[in-house]
Amino acid sequence: MVELGVRLGIPLALLVLAYFTGAAVERRHYASIRERELRWRSVPAITFRSVPPSWKVTECTLITGSVVISVDYFKRFLAGLRAIFGGRIKAYESLLDRARREALMRLKQKAVERGYHAIVNVRLETCRMANARNSESIAGLEVLAFGTAVKLRNAP
Amino acid sequence: MKFDPSIPEDGINVSRTHPLREALLLVGGVAAIAIAVAVAAAVAVDLVAPHIPIELEVRLFSGWFDRGVEADEAVDPREQSLAKLLGRMAGHWPENPYAFEIAIWDIPEPNAVALPGGVIAVTDGLLENVESENELAFVLGHELGHFRNRDHLRGLGRGIAFSLLLVAVGVGGSSSAVELASLAGQFAQRGFDRDQEIEADRFGLALLAAEYGHVSGAEAFFEHLPELGGPLDGELASYYSTHPLNADRIQALRGMAHEMGWELRGERQPLLSLSPAR
Repeated sequence: MVELGVRLGIPLALLVLAYFTGAAVERRHYASIRERELRWRSVPAITFRSVPPSWKVTECTLITGSVVISVDYFKRFLAGLRAIFGGRIKAYESLLDRARREALMRLKQKAVERGYHAIVNVRLETCRMANARNSESIAGLEVLAFGTAVKLRNAP
Repeated sequence: MKFDPSIPEDGINVSRTHPLREALLLVGGVAAIAIAVAVAAAVAVDLVAPHIPIELEVRLFSGWFDRGVEADEAVDPREQSLAKLLGRMAGHWPENPYAFEIAIWDIPEPNAVALPGGVIAVTDGLLENVESENELAFVLGHELGHFRNRDHLRGLGRGIAFSLLLVAVGVGGSSSAVELASLAGQFAQRGFDRDQEIEADRFGLALLAAEYGHVSGAEAFFEHLPELGGPLDGELASYYSTHPLNADRIQALRGMAHEMGWELRGERQPLLSLSPAR
């Protein structure tokens, strides 16, 4: 019975803990993302490879924004079970969504702080970070947003 | 060209399914599949095991579990008296196809095991805790019952089938999925183990009655076992132990004895030359 308790109890306790901490972290992160999306919404971050013809660019530079985000135990548990049946790994969708949006927000914030007006040719890259001990499982992932920040004479 | 600064609504990139709902669905699915596969494997093994020829079994497992006594090694004298008692018990099973061997394991927990190939292993802990020959005779009869029903092969077959299941899950999923499947499968197979124990008890009791004319000693054996193994209480404990709870088992033994008209009281024979060899 003791053995069963250890086998079942510890992972279960971890799962419950990870569910609540994970949910709280996610809720707070989303609140912060939405707040910044509102704040920086007038800064265009667009995927055009060149600036629109009406923009008069005076200065430009490469700019990056990146975030490294971790998978919690509960999400990893769900994804592990999902791997048996197949289908959408719903637990990871919000994780990646947060990472992409966070990276974009950091990109915009950096551009604004350096006096740029817009970012063109925005690209997103995702990179998974494998656990050293067991390369099958994911320790976390990085999303990198980069683009060309431009200063404009006729700022929008 | 005009820049649209509005923020899109949340949603399309993230599923709205509640994570707990997803967890329930996945855990339930894995557990249900593991239980179904474990039960199917157990049933399949039950169908196949009785048809495995004894000669094949003996050939396959010879040398696996017997201790391969060295020529100069002193044979434990307890082994000989156990073999004698076993011979007497097996004598009441005329169609017995096995040539049995006794092994004594140096393990403090009281236990006895029927092993493929016709080896009956008895632990030191068991030998030190039996109080009469009748109790020991019942234990040996119980193990003979396992051989008659080919339970030792079934247990092995279920183990193999179950390991294959776990490997299959492990290939597709994470270690937590394997753990979950293993728990669910073990749980599902407990019932099979319990049924086997009851049937082996029945056979052991019949041999005991045939040998001594009464079945005294069978109960006594279980009555003083709980203090040794540590008590297990409650429903879950009963389902979780491989062997049915001792109290349940005593109850079942009494029922069988009553049903067959076997006397529960009778004179027990003292143990001969089974005191520790050292």
